[in-house]
Amino acid sequence: MQAEAVRGNRLTGFVSGLPPVAWILFVMVVVFSFASPNYFELRNISNIFIQSMPLMLVAFAQTIIVLTEGIDLSLGTQVSFVSVLWILLCQYGVPILAAAAITVAVSMGVGATNGLIIGKGKIPAFIATLGMQYVLYSTSLLLTAGASISFSDYLFQFVSETKLLFIPLPVWITAVMFCLTWVMLYKTRLGASVFALGGNPDAVTLAGVNANKSLIKIYGFAGLLTAVSGLIITCQLESAQPIVGSGWEFEAVAAALIGGTSFREGKGGIGGTILGVLLISTLKNGLNIARVPSLYQSAIIGTIILAAIIIDVMVRRRRNG
Amino acid sequence: MDETILRVHSITKRFPGVKALDNIDFDLKRGEVHILVGENGAGKSTLAKVILGAYVPDEGEIFFEGQKVAFKTTRDALEKGIAAVYQEFTLFPYLNVAQNIFFNREPRNKLGIIDHRKMERDAAELLRSLNCEYIDVRAYVKKLSVAEQQMVEIAKALSYSPRIMVFDEPTATLSEREVESLFERIHKLKAAGIGIIYVSHRMQEFKFIGDRITVLRDGKKIGTVGINEVSDKEIVKMMVGRDISQVFHRSANVFSGEVLKTETLSDRAGRVKEASIVLNKGEIVGLAGLVGAGRTELAKLIFGVDPIGGGKVYIHGREVNVTSPVHMVKCGVGMVCEDRKRLGLAVNDSVAWNIMAVSLKKYFPRFIIYYNKAYDIVEKYKTQLRIATPDVLRKCKFLSGGNQQKVVLAKWLSMDTDILIFDEPTRGIDVGAKIEIYGLMDKLASEGKSILMISSELPEIIGMSDRIYVIREGRIVGECKRAEFSTDDIASQMLGIVGDAHAS
Repeated sequence: MQAEAVRGNRLTGFVSGLPPVAWILFVMVVVFSFASPNYFELRNISNIFIQSMPLMLVAFAQTIIVLTEGIDLSLGTQVSFVSVLWILLCQYGVPILAAAAITVAVSMGVGATNGLIIGKGKIPAFIATLGMQYVLYSTSLLLTAGASISFSDYLFQFVSETKLLFIPLPVWITAVMFCLTWVMLYKTRLGASVFALGGNPDAVTLAGVNANKSLIKIYGFAGLLTAVSGLIITCQLESAQPIVGSGWEFEAVAAALIGGTSFREGKGGIGGTILGVLLISTLKNGLNIARVPSLYQSAIIGTIILAAIIIDVMVRRRRNG
Repeated sequence: MDETILRVHSITKRFPGVKALDNIDFDLKRGEVHILVGENGAGKSTLAKVILGAYVPDEGEIFFEGQKVAFKTTRDALEKGIAAVYQEFTLFPYLNVAQNIFFNREPRNKLGIIDHRKMERDAAELLRSLNCEYIDVRAYVKKLSVAEQQMVEIAKALSYSPRIMVFDEPTATLSEREVESLFERIHKLKAAGIGIIYVSHRMQEFKFIGDRITVLRDGKKIGTVGINEVSDKEIVKMMVGRDISQVFHRSANVFSGEVLKTETLSDRAGRVKEASIVLNKGEIVGLAGLVGAGRTELAKLIFGVDPIGGGKVYIHGREVNVTSPVHMVKCGVGMVCEDRKRLGLAVNDSVAWNIMAVSLKKYFPRFIIYYNKAYDIVEKYKTQLRIATPDVLRKCKFLSGGNQQKVVLAKWLSMDTDILIFDEPTRGIDVGAKIEIYGLMDKLASEGKSILMISSELPEIIGMSDRIYVIREGRIVGECKRAEFSTDDIASQMLGIVGDAHAS
């Protein structure tokens, strides 16, 4: 994305180089602001932002995995599992920050296990992570007996209510994770192997890279992102929610695809994913404000996601001749 | 100068069921191009892979600069300075040129952060040494042409400062002009004292770059000869093991009636401009042109792959509305594609399935497939085309290139297609299979089928065609009959230069 956007030398070049999803997002905001007068209130805009941060992190994770020609169906249940594990550890008396650290480590371990099964076990990502999804789903429900568990700690309010330079803390945390992911993707050998695995897996081994190790690290890194996502959502809800992340893995795939990441050839990046997540969140928020019944919402969201991806593909095809 | 850099002594390599290499000796001198030829399965790739450390030999020894070496992986060989340019690209489409060249060897600081600036500088310098400074080191490899990608591959191999370079069929995907510039590079490497092993099928290249040739057949070494000591025919004889009076054989045919005609046919992208061609019954017509001149694009237009921008297509004198390949197949047109593995063949499916896939409806119009009958039909084509496979249920990916191509042909023959479009029909297949394919084309033509053939190899086009159209920049710029063929004329028309023949 960056290379394509930078190509033009003036503002016009920059604007026409923007991914189509940016335009769709813009049009959607305009439509919603006409449909409901209080849409443009600052509070609403900032709500969209804050609420979409946990999904944003999961979408980053999904993007790097999709870049390797993989998919992780367990990301959503990983988020729920992180939430449950953190609160349970706290209930057992583990200091809250120590509990968070343990949780992050466990989540990275879960991701690494996915990578191990996919790489060493030669199991397709779809199947391996589907299995992991079921296991984690069940575990979270068992640990909580199916109910949410409230817990109160000052840290929760601190995370969800503190603002730094008018920007809420979850947004800062996500920004930091974005930078970390960006550096990993574009500035390290692991990142190069992400694009390489999706582009030409046979050649990766020929170049002397241990592809299995790379997969373990990549899925482990995804575990780190989902862990942070789970911690943030737990702070926002002040409770352990055993099914809070269900379905996020698919929203994350949609966001990655809308953002121009492709299942083929290791094409794409996390920049576009930000727009993809904002598009989905804006859409959900707008439909709520416009009082569209929730039964209709999924159908509308699905249609718009499909339309966005189709428009995107068509525009890119035309641009590339 | 005359110094042996690599010596391979009585190497044997067995695979389950076959002796891929049988007691092979081979040596390479500093600053020499040693060509390795043989049909597919002769063992030339296996030998190259043993030298590169990709295979560990069962018996025998390798001496590199007088020292005995035993490579376990390609990495071991690379560290000694033996690098390869593989036939299948080892590049990553969405990493940039510099990232590709230095993949997994990126310069980085203590934190593991890659120093892109240094990497790009080094990459640019390597490309400059290849006279390829026009390649942007920050461009995605995906955006480069095939020839540019090839140069990146070479730059990557050179970045290991190799003493020996192995080229495995490097020209398979290049046009003639690109081949020439590749040869220039090889001459330079040679002058720099690098020993080069060049694996190839293309006879016409040998004299340009080779110093010595080693011919392999069925895993055995037939001989090593100096390039000037043998004729092409002798090489072919060594490779195939039988005397071939003529590589290209054409029966005298009588042509009757137009079967295919295009009138000022254009596409929408401007790659084909008002092309008018005629194909007669029983005729082989060659379409000559450089890669990108619009040859494949014209074929795709006729076959309904790309939408037509203007003009008309007539089949058997009747105008047809070219809507889709499916429709064109119904009209009796078949196409053998350039990219056989991607477009012509389901490589993970069986020989039988590939042959029958298109024609199932014809043989079994009532929905139910009678397997006995289907296998009879498949066996018929297997025998007729001499497809070498132990059984027809074998997956196509295990077949050699030549046999795969025969499967594609069988597919169209089973449809009883009478207009066939061949796009690079002999790309990547060995001489023996080539001769068989040529023989088949000749036989098909004498049976009244009509063939439109696209090829980058001039000898092939001139050898097989009854008539040739030359296409340049999307326009048909020349037409000549078999009696008037001249290599110089056609080549200069392809390139757009007025040759001496025209000036006089």
